[in-house]
Amino acid sequence: MSERWQRVRHHPGAVAALFLLPAGFGFVVFYLWPAIRALWMSFTDYNVLRGSGDWVGLQNYQDLAADPLFWHSMRVTALYVVLNIGVQTALALAMAVMMDRLTRSALVRGVLVLPWLIPQVVVGLLWLWMLDPRLGVVNHLLDWVGIGGQDFFGSPAQVIPTLAGVNTWRFVGYTALLIFAGLQMIPRHLYEAAALDGAGEWRTFWRVTLPLLRPVLALVLVLSVVGSFQVFDLVQVATGGIGGQPGGPANSSLVIYVYIFRHAFNFNNAGYAAAMSAVLAVLLAAVTFFIMRGLRGSRSDLA
Amino acid sequence: MTSTTTASTDRPAVPRRPARKPRRPLRFRLSRIAAWAVLVLLMAGTLLPFYWILRTAFSTNSALFTGDQSVLPAEPTWVNFRRVLGLASPEEVRAAGGSGAELQFWLYLRNSVVFATLVTVGQVTCCAMAAYAFARLHWRGRDAVFYLFLSTLMVPPIFVLIPNFVLLSEVGLLDTFAGLAAPYFFMTPFMVFFLRQFFLGMSSELEDAARMDGAGHPRIFLRICVPVMAAPLTTAAILAYVMAWNEFMWPLVAGSDPSVRVLTVGLSAFRSGQPQAAPDWTGLMAATVLGALPVVLLFLAMGRRIVDSIRFTGLK
Amino acid sequence: MKLSWRRRIAVPMCAALLLVAACSGTGDGDKVTLDYWLWDDRQIPQYQECADAFTAQSGVEVKITQYAWEDYWSNLNTQFAARRAPDVFTDHLAFYPSFVQNQVILPINEYVERDNVDLGQYYPGLAELWVGQDGKRYGLPKDWDTIAMAYNSTMLAAAGLSREDVWNATWNPSDGGTFEDIIARLSVDENGVRGNEPGFDATKVAVYGLSFDNPSNSASGQTSWGNFARSLGFELLADGNPWGTDYQFDDPRLAQTLDWFARMVKAGYLTPLADLQGVGYVSLFEAGDVALTINGSWAISSFTGISGAEVGFAPLPTGPQGRWSIYNGLADAISANTAHRDEAWQWVKYLASAECQNVVGEKAVVFPAIPASLKIGEQVREQAGLDVSAYTTYLESQHTFLYPVTVNFDQVTQAVGAAVDEILLGNRPAAEALTAAQKQVDSIMGR
Repeated sequence: MSERWQRVRHHPGAVAALFLLPAGFGFVVFYLWPAIRALWMSFTDYNVLRGSGDWVGLQNYQDLAADPLFWHSMRVTALYVVLNIGVQTALALAMAVMMDRLTRSALVRGVLVLPWLIPQVVVGLLWLWMLDPRLGVVNHLLDWVGIGGQDFFGSPAQVIPTLAGVNTWRFVGYTALLIFAGLQMIPRHLYEAAALDGAGEWRTFWRVTLPLLRPVLALVLVLSVVGSFQVFDLVQVATGGIGGQPGGPANSSLVIYVYIFRHAFNFNNAGYAAAMSAVLAVLLAAVTFFIMRGLRGSRSDLA
Repeated sequence: MTSTTTASTDRPAVPRRPARKPRRPLRFRLSRIAAWAVLVLLMAGTLLPFYWILRTAFSTNSALFTGDQSVLPAEPTWVNFRRVLGLASPEEVRAAGGSGAELQFWLYLRNSVVFATLVTVGQVTCCAMAAYAFARLHWRGRDAVFYLFLSTLMVPPIFVLIPNFVLLSEVGLLDTFAGLAAPYFFMTPFMVFFLRQFFLGMSSELEDAARMDGAGHPRIFLRICVPVMAAPLTTAAILAYVMAWNEFMWPLVAGSDPSVRVLTVGLSAFRSGQPQAAPDWTGLMAATVLGALPVVLLFLAMGRRIVDSIRFTGLK
Repeated sequence: MKLSWRRRIAVPMCAALLLVAACSGTGDGDKVTLDYWLWDDRQIPQYQECADAFTAQSGVEVKITQYAWEDYWSNLNTQFAARRAPDVFTDHLAFYPSFVQNQVILPINEYVERDNVDLGQYYPGLAELWVGQDGKRYGLPKDWDTIAMAYNSTMLAAAGLSREDVWNATWNPSDGGTFEDIIARLSVDENGVRGNEPGFDATKVAVYGLSFDNPSNSASGQTSWGNFARSLGFELLADGNPWGTDYQFDDPRLAQTLDWFARMVKAGYLTPLADLQGVGYVSLFEAGDVALTINGSWAISSFTGISGAEVGFAPLPTGPQGRWSIYNGLADAISANTAHRDEAWQWVKYLASAECQNVVGEKAVVFPAIPASLKIGEQVREQAGLDVSAYTTYLESQHTFLYPVTVNFDQVTQAVGAAVDEILLGNRPAAEALTAAQKQVDSIMGR
């Protein structure tokens, strides 16, 4: 008995299985099973109200390929992702380095992460009001400094950059916090060694900080990209104004998740929504794969 | 070079080596001033909307849009906070432009605390174990299984929501804390990913030494990994707590009973009841302030803990 | 040692299981409690009063839960998926066709016949709305609404206009009738020049003559273009409403109407689309940026609650074919998954009875479906010095038309909403945008 236990104890697969047991249980029940179900749904005309669906084969995928709004919303989402990731990641990295090298004040971190502590729906409503073309405080300020009022959510050209800006406001501190947590993992003596070699802040950043940050940076990038593609609450609340149809004006902010949600709940077309989600999931998996490969995110130079 | 002390622009540059170029401290100081300026600007930009939240929370709904948009609250009042806390009379509520919905703030607050605590404890424990298996153990198919876990991050929340709702309804766990917490208790793809990435960065020296001493994996995990990873684990706990605190859609559908209704759901009563109507702005903002206060305090308290735990692990 | 670590793993699992055992027990006796959902928070007091009276009579408890409009429908859909929808809930015409189609709400015609509910006691037309394509009844009317206008009396006087001018306004799409003149005179630019005066700067408007909801929210144009187009004789559906499928958005009369609206935006008399994508027309009205708005009767209290502004109500202008308003109403539906069919029916019947309708009238938030109950409400409003006859005139002249009840209405709204946006942005002429939208609508309706 004890001997067998010893063997199990040292068999790597068995040990891993034991460590994975609780998380694995949750994974299979609450994530994997719904995912498989969603994939199955995409081959049916599943309808939430009915709670069932009949097999339709590839029909949903064919419809999707011919649906101009699907492609339109993918383009809109892509633009949002590019704007969002570009600004947010760079800014968050700078913030995190400052949190680490400039000041360790918990208050500074608390302030920067504050927007993330507010529920997304409130964030959307708050900015909808602050950016109201006529009654918003932001346009009052812009008028006052002489720039002049902007349409923000009300203009097809500005709505996506505005959404990206609001989202950056909400998440940049949080992203910085993740990176900051990664920076803490870097042993202090490496910085000291760099300083002794006469390396400045800038060089230290490129030579020490960034390479050692790779796994965490990969994490942040994957989470930001996936999260940005999945932007939903903010658009649902902040676009179209109070009472209007989200995604406006004229579908200019119809991001893919808003479109998916609409098909699932408003149009009673969950099968089609699942097919769109499947296409998006494949795309996201590919992007994730490239990020993890490109940054060698599964390998640490510290270990 | 010790930069853990609170930074100030005139930090003593005590050169340990006389070989250092004499010019450096000045340049260094200038760039530090510039960095501080940027940081202060970022903080100001972050905080400005919060001023607007507070201004609104202290205003009255009827005066919100009428007068000029002054910096100070329009018709300053405490009534919105009293409304959120359920202390205002029905007449006061109606006069303030509030709804007829009944609010039990303290009950919702308790429920949020129970829900978020339950989720945090379970999630961080289970995911730390999983992360250990994915980052520190070597077994066949490890990366494949990890990417399978990760892939569920790409599944839209609505497709997770409905099957889980049906499942918990079938096992009779709706409107219970157990049912509410279950989908987040064992894992989230985010948390497994987060902790795995941090566990990857752990130095293997201590681990190897422990193994030499004949320690088993459970022992290495508990006695070496957990202490060494204290800082990321604390961060993970904060993240899990705040995410659970702000969760909305799931508690809305799975925990509608007042006995388990959480703050985000309870306070959504301040959003518009009618189609095509504006929300109860002042009530919503007062509710936001009171609803976020616990996590803000938690964050500030735990923030200090992080710094402490770094000092602790600093011996590495 | 070997076992102790396993125990550690087991702790969270056991904790979860213990909680299951501790929390899942909710004791309930044999008393029936019905779950009842609604979205309008202002109506909770009146229905709570009805529920209390109902419980006193029948012994059946009613638990009222309110969810904000935005959350109400997705939550309800999810509950349906698990067959856990509330026993009774407030239903809307835009959503009820798919509930009928998927058989998640119960037909009540047999109950209605059995209990001899008098369908003639309601305002004409309301009861017919809730008969499905299958000829079965799915609801009893509980209230109704029409569309009219709210004006800022002070601004009206400043423009040299009287209440009668607005009440007697005429409209046509070519020169806009006296209505265009009214909104022009109500518009003021930043230099104080009025819209009907030379030198009016349409790019720097301080007060817009007219505003309304973001029109993308409904393919019926309920609170914007719909009533104007109807006054030209335009019908949304060629093969009848309810349950038509032949939308005609490419009708030239609709294009004329929307071109007129686009012209008003350009002229600076109507809030541009960008301003409708913010906090909304009621707030603009409150802020004094708008003089006249088109709004539904459900929003009356949003206007009367504004402090410091004197507000009056007037019916929509008279078009070439008369003065028309869309006519909509709500009903209560019974979920097919309810375990208490009979009790649920008793509650639905009570909600639509004179007894409860009188309470609804008394609270004067919405218009009850029974004329006598509305009288009570009118007395209440009169005492408060409020005249809402603008909303009831249509009923007297019988110039109401029903809210469209068709399948796939949300999909139609998506297509038409985007087209109307483009027209109001001035990006496309109405005829072109609407013809394109009609093509999409035809494919949505399977034609």
